[in-house]
Amino acid sequence: MSSKTTYIGAVEIGTSKITVLVGEHNGRELAIIGRGECSSRGMIKGTVVDYKAASDSTHSALEQAERDAGERIDLVFLAQTGGHLEGFYNEAAVNVKASDNMIEPGDVRTVCDLAKAKELPTGRMVVHHIRRPFRVDGQLIPGSPENITGQRLDVGYWTVHGQEQRLADNLHVIRGFNLEVRELVLASLASGHMVTSAEERQHGVLAIDIGAGTTDFVLYRDGAPHTTGVVPVGGTHFTNDLSIGLRLTDGKAEKLKLRFGRANVTTKDKTHKVWLDGNFAIGDRQFPQQAIEQITSARAWELLEVVKKKLGSAFSPETCASGVVLTGGTAKLAGIADAAAKVFGVPAHLGEAPTWVSENLRDPGYHTALGLLYYGVSAQSEKALPSRRGSSFLTGMKRLFTHA
Amino acid sequence: MRLPSDRETVNQETVNVPAARNWRDISQPVKARAMSRGGKWRRVLQGARGVMLVAVVGGLLWGAWKVSLSLRKTAPQIPTIAKTVPMKAPELRTTRDGVLDAAWLARTLELPPRVSLLELDLERLRARVLADDQVLTASLTRVFPDRLIVQVTERTPVARVRVGLEGQARDLLVARDGVLFAGSGFDPAMIETLPWLAGLTLAPEGAGFRPVPRMNEVARLLTDAQLAAEHLYRSWQNVSLARLDSDNEIEITTRDHTTIVFGAKNAFFVQLANLDYIMERRLKLPGTRARIDLSLGREVPVMIEPLAAVATEAKPELAKGAMVPFFTAFPDSSLSSKREL
Repeated sequence: MSSKTTYIGAVEIGTSKITVLVGEHNGRELAIIGRGECSSRGMIKGTVVDYKAASDSTHSALEQAERDAGERIDLVFLAQTGGHLEGFYNEAAVNVKASDNMIEPGDVRTVCDLAKAKELPTGRMVVHHIRRPFRVDGQLIPGSPENITGQRLDVGYWTVHGQEQRLADNLHVIRGFNLEVRELVLASLASGHMVTSAEERQHGVLAIDIGAGTTDFVLYRDGAPHTTGVVPVGGTHFTNDLSIGLRLTDGKAEKLKLRFGRANVTTKDKTHKVWLDGNFAIGDRQFPQQAIEQITSARAWELLEVVKKKLGSAFSPETCASGVVLTGGTAKLAGIADAAAKVFGVPAHLGEAPTWVSENLRDPGYHTALGLLYYGVSAQSEKALPSRRGSSFLTGMKRLFTHA
Repeated sequence: MRLPSDRETVNQETVNVPAARNWRDISQPVKARAMSRGGKWRRVLQGARGVMLVAVVGGLLWGAWKVSLSLRKTAPQIPTIAKTVPMKAPELRTTRDGVLDAAWLARTLELPPRVSLLELDLERLRARVLADDQVLTASLTRVFPDRLIVQVTERTPVARVRVGLEGQARDLLVARDGVLFAGSGFDPAMIETLPWLAGLTLAPEGAGFRPVPRMNEVARLLTDAQLAAEHLYRSWQNVSLARLDSDNEIEITTRDHTTIVFGAKNAFFVQLANLDYIMERRLKLPGTRARIDLSLGREVPVMIEPLAAVATEAKPELAKGAMVPFFTAFPDSSLSSKREL
């Protein structure tokens, strides 16, 4: 990246709210200088269902962030989530070309290209190629394998792909504000990058971001993302369950969830009731607390079980020594860490932003946007491996004019 | 095309991998109707910024073009103005003893009538001025709007020489540096006082002749004589350089047929003093002529010959020339300094 100051907007378009953070990046340091928030409309489970409403609310958040920052955003890193996102693993191996068996950049490039070259079904597009560590003659190499001697070079990629129209809709919402989306980052990678430390990622950790409409998760092993996934279930389902179970409006159910919802049942007394508002106003009602806890805990356990099932054999308590880290707005549900610990059989805790993050951005609702900024910047400046697509001078010039 | 299956090791020479479609392949720009008001406003601002940038760059380019145009136009404008102002007659400035005049300058420059100052080719005109060997140096200066100043340094003649065949002979003047020139504007009376050069062979060069070699020594003698013994100089008629190269002698013939030989390597003032001394004391024998040889230092042989022998030139004894020593030596006191002369 150049030394010129760039104003980056990290945009998370969630089901319940849209968060925008403005980062000032001078090529070396990143400072957060603005914030914008807006209730989300026209979005369900990470999918645009009403373009106008989604655009208006997103642009409102962008304008608010620009006003707060006092600067115009130059480009956007956009968080991507949604049930349409899927992932698969593909690996490839090549015989080392050089006669002295020393691995050259060409070998690395070839094996990477091969591992990424899996044809996708029509209408699907790659969102992320997440590389797992290289192996030389079966031995794991954490860094670059260049100049290491061996006969066979292996690498695997976890490829995340999504539906083209859904991805395009998200991009066009941002482009409708005349801004270019420079990076599309999985919401799970963004939030996971923020709430886990490098050490945890090295030992193995599962980060689960429970939002309003979706739950994104990423499993780290050997310091790198191993498996990602999206479950189209989130906090709104908890609210919906309460609404149906207790015959309430969504607003009241949401209120009950926030005040009395738990991920595990702690109330033993079935007759113990709680007031909806507690202000003795006309219309205020009482509800059995155990019932509330039973409804929310059932949904929470089910959600965590689904995540575990989706992870399949990739997850095992032995390979996830650092346990489970929970984040996202719904992670504020009481007892959810205990529930996660029981479901996964490993320690679990609520994710916290690093200590250098200011107090007003430490809420779990900002973890994704924060992670977007840092993950996006590092992804741009530290490309793990040079690719054929972006390395040529001609491509660089083309980009220069495209982005001008 | 066949792609390698999972875990299959491939030979790299056979690899041809197609790139999977990436989200970056999605075209991001949207139509204006899909943009919000804020987005449209941003686009207008971006466009305005682009227009401003183009305007600034264009302005700079236009300015640069205008400046270059004006610079280009400025040069032709001067002659256009100057062409409307006919030049005055060239002004000649010579050295203080210069004799060249405006008429000579007009003849030499041959300027067409109503010519403008900037139409003049000064280098060519200077070459024309310098073509006259009377001019030593020349510089031509334009003074706008209509004056041309020609500054020259002239050569001063110290002798004259007659060149050419009999009947087509012409007289040329000889400067101190040996250059021969026709001479223009000199007072004829002054020219008459100049002695004639003889006993030299002139080598042609172009339309004229090469400079006379060792003329500076002869000129020094003549100038010294003019300054120190003008009464003697007045009678000098011929200066012969015939023996200058061979014997370092300059031979002067006076109007009364006396021959004086000067040594080119000796001090002319001393020789002139000796001559003056001799001329005051010599015996004036009627019908004879004298030959005084000053080139031998303190010994000055003086030969007396009958004039008839000079007239007939046929008598062998005269041709041989019988030498009669007249003075053998000078008192030292008479040679002490120039001041005594």
